[in-house]
Amino acid sequence: MSLSLVQRSNPVLALYVALAIGAAGGLPFLRVAPNRLLSGEPVYLWDVLQQVGNQQIDALLLGLVVLLCIAVWQPGQRLIQAFIILTMAASLSGVWLLAGQFASSATQAENPLLRTSLGAGFWTLAALAWLIALDAIARVQLPTLPRLFLQSAFFLPLLLSLNEGQQLSIAQEFANQRDVFGPAILRHLQIVFLAVVPALIIGLLLAWRMTQTRNLRQALFPILNVIQTIPSIALFGLLMAPLAWLAVQLPGLGRAGISGVGIAPAVIALFLYALLPIVRSALAGLEQVPAEAVNAARAMGMSAGQLLWQVELPLALPVLLIGLRSAVVQTTGLAAVSALVGAGGLGQIMFDGLFSAANELVILGVIPIVLLAMMADTFFKVLSSLIKTRP
Amino acid sequence: MTIKFQKIRKHYDGAAAITDFNLDIQQGELVVLLGPSGSGKSTILKMLNRMVSHDGGHIFFNGQDINSFNVQDLRRRMGYAMQSVGLFPHRTVGHNIATVPRLLGWDAQRVQARVNELLQLLAMDPKQYAGRYPHQLSGGQQQRVGVARAMAADPDVLLMDEPFGALDPVTRAALQLQLKKIHRATGQTILFVTHDIDEALLLATRIVLLNHGRIVQMGTPLELLQQPTNDFVADFLGRADLGLKQLSLRPIAPHIKAIEGTEPIHTISHTVTFKEAISHMATLHVSSLRVVNADGTVLGQVHATDLLETSDV
Amino acid sequence: MLFSLSFLRRSLLFAAFGLLASSVVQANGPVRVGSKIDTEGKLLGNIMVLALEANGIKTENKVSLGNTKIVRTALVAGEIDIYPEYTGNGAFMLGAEKSPAWKDLRAGYELAKKMDFEKNKIVWLEPANANNTWAIAVRKDLATANQLRSMDDVGRYIAKGGTFKLAASAEFMERTDAMPAFQAAYGFKLRADQALVLAGGDTAATIKAAAEKTSGVNAAMAYGTDGPLAALGLLVMEDPKGVQPVYAPAPLVREEVLKRHPAIATILAPIFKSLDTPTLQMLNARIQLEGQDPRKVASGYLQSKGFLK
Repeated sequence: MSLSLVQRSNPVLALYVALAIGAAGGLPFLRVAPNRLLSGEPVYLWDVLQQVGNQQIDALLLGLVVLLCIAVWQPGQRLIQAFIILTMAASLSGVWLLAGQFASSATQAENPLLRTSLGAGFWTLAALAWLIALDAIARVQLPTLPRLFLQSAFFLPLLLSLNEGQQLSIAQEFANQRDVFGPAILRHLQIVFLAVVPALIIGLLLAWRMTQTRNLRQALFPILNVIQTIPSIALFGLLMAPLAWLAVQLPGLGRAGISGVGIAPAVIALFLYALLPIVRSALAGLEQVPAEAVNAARAMGMSAGQLLWQVELPLALPVLLIGLRSAVVQTTGLAAVSALVGAGGLGQIMFDGLFSAANELVILGVIPIVLLAMMADTFFKVLSSLIKTRP
Repeated sequence: MTIKFQKIRKHYDGAAAITDFNLDIQQGELVVLLGPSGSGKSTILKMLNRMVSHDGGHIFFNGQDINSFNVQDLRRRMGYAMQSVGLFPHRTVGHNIATVPRLLGWDAQRVQARVNELLQLLAMDPKQYAGRYPHQLSGGQQQRVGVARAMAADPDVLLMDEPFGALDPVTRAALQLQLKKIHRATGQTILFVTHDIDEALLLATRIVLLNHGRIVQMGTPLELLQQPTNDFVADFLGRADLGLKQLSLRPIAPHIKAIEGTEPIHTISHTVTFKEAISHMATLHVSSLRVVNADGTVLGQVHATDLLETSDV
Repeated sequence: MLFSLSFLRRSLLFAAFGLLASSVVQANGPVRVGSKIDTEGKLLGNIMVLALEANGIKTENKVSLGNTKIVRTALVAGEIDIYPEYTGNGAFMLGAEKSPAWKDLRAGYELAKKMDFEKNKIVWLEPANANNTWAIAVRKDLATANQLRSMDDVGRYIAKGGTFKLAASAEFMERTDAMPAFQAAYGFKLRADQALVLAGGDTAATIKAAAEKTSGVNAAMAYGTDGPLAALGLLVMEDPKGVQPVYAPAPLVREEVLKRHPAIATILAPIFKSLDTPTLQMLNARIQLEGQDPRKVASGYLQSKGFLK
């Protein structure tokens, strides 16, 4: 039985390799600008290699391309996949090192304001390294926990080589923001927590009531759906006026930090957004609890609360976790916008960059948000897989 | 412990489902509510633990109207086993059984001891089964756990709603015997619902036969078989083999005679019923058997004509 | 019932008590310092925070809160206590656009001070001797090629049909005392396709757009105290007709807060006096061009002048 072309090869990898070669040749790897504001002149990978590379590096790169091309035609070989994962992790660190070396070698003495920023080429190659590695990890077919671990461990070489990029614009922006960075992360996490935890509690209660009254479900879901469609900035804005009015009426609220600006409108808006995924998954979870178990529990003399806590919630948990994961990831991203109403957080750094026309600062604000979202996603995936081992 | 149903009525959508139902249950009885589908037997059972409400009349538990109890307290004093079992999939067998005791606040040691006791009572080795999860058990094992769970807190009455209906005939027979043994050993009061006549005849100390929400006849299994009040009863119990069914309820022990003439070659245990004795004779093409007890001592003989011509009335 | 009634009642009681208690505590809270979201706002806001803290007044940092409207509303509503504003903004904030006083620093300041105190019990403290007025800056090459030195030249150039595209904020394009005033005084009118409207009031984006000719932009909205203009090859067009009011930075504080901490006035006065236009340009350049953190720039400046140890 002959296999089709698709089965005999890895077309996805072929696509990635083609894109990588295109990006390396056609997109600027770096940009050099005389100061922080200007976009600067493009520098291509070839130029960078000429400046900071040597024969060994050129040979490595060539070998890498050859390896990948071979891998396209050996989709099943586990050893090759493992090798790819390793080389991709090294490549991710490698592009960073190349960029960092180039920035260090650029003449700083003449112009102390000189900025070397990461170009589209760099980002594309980095993203492709990640994607190729993901594909290879999937082909190795590991169980959930080891797979998630491997996906996280992938970034280790990059983390270890971060220091080499000191002269890059993004590192310089970070150095300037170092003091506010930590508090910004904490504030961001605080916003997410304050929005998601009440959404979880109230969402659960709402879903539970919905399993008992049909009317509530028909009344509430349309409202939740409409809320989801309101653009976040608009919702923040809508909440500011009533909250400000409330703060004037009850001065104590203002002192407690609840006012028209700051964390209050942000948290309330994010809470409302988080409700839909949580209520939906909580309801689905509760509805798939076996009816005979619920019946038996009632007949044995469990109160409604005991039934919920001892039977319904544990059995609804796997489905609920899916919705909760979705809500947390969504809120982590949305919390960035809350900087516009003065709530602070990582969004503050992002908007600073946006308004000061400093792109590297925007990236500096965005990357941690993405990382936080990815970590939250992985965390819940791990939690879900741990629960599955209990039948 | 007494239970009294007094003039119980129930309607669904204006139509009467249960009419004028009266029943007294004493401690230690195994009362079977028997009847075709739709006869209201399940509904009546569920009225007792207030899973279903009654529209007229009163139900008294130990002399007190059940509506005056706190419903959870009432239910915790009654065990409930149903056909779909309803074990908690996320809890071990032991934890499932321990449900009501824990709700009542028993201490851990007492709970553990009771779980082991019940598993052994239902012929399941605690060491092997207490830590297993429901999905790792067969249908019959799950129902055993269900029964154990219902009995766990030593309830005043055990309510069983066609518990063995979903099992294969072999498992069903084994569980019926198990339940009969437990009833004899513990004296547990049981209210049992079924549409299976043989099951009713095997288990019941008293049968309540229902049709369209009314009691047609009430009495011991033998009474119903020997004196059916009307055609419905006779038909329901299986008109054609009423006689054979009676035979299965009567033990041969009282009818063992001294051996006269030629000693019969084949033997039979002294604990069997008439039906088994006659069946054995038919298989061997003989008309008499030598009766022996457990260690082989000959107790006498039984003869086919004697068995068929005597009655226990 | 999932929650007993008594639990609900108890928690409501607790919440009410908490609110009551916190409103009593209010009287002795820290001074909440706000600012606008642009570069100079962050600079001045941080200067104020550091100066007050160094003199023993506890502050709560709410710098970079939002745009003019948000910050001003917050002050009037009592959600912040002090923030840096511009004298020129008094014209539209206090509804006195017609008054000629705004064209003069001192006169505008006195007018704003008087009106705001009467209307809103808000005190205007001593201003800086700087003019952060709105201006239009054009690319040096455009200026040289067409001999553009002032807004008169620009007006004539546009009226003759010269290629002109301005990057500006929505506020600049719409406020009657901004672009409309320029257009009226210098006799030109921008078509819709001759303007690129950007979000936010920070001129870094507009200056960058002009410097890089993004979407054909060759002119940018700028502020008088902007840092990066020269470095990015832009030239500020003079305003001989004095269309723009004077925008001198001054701290605005709520009267009751000032009563609680009268030292605020004496602490900030000399600092603001020391901030003239060249100084502000230099400090702004550090933030915008070099990317330094505004708080660091603020503390560095205060230390260099001896306001901070």
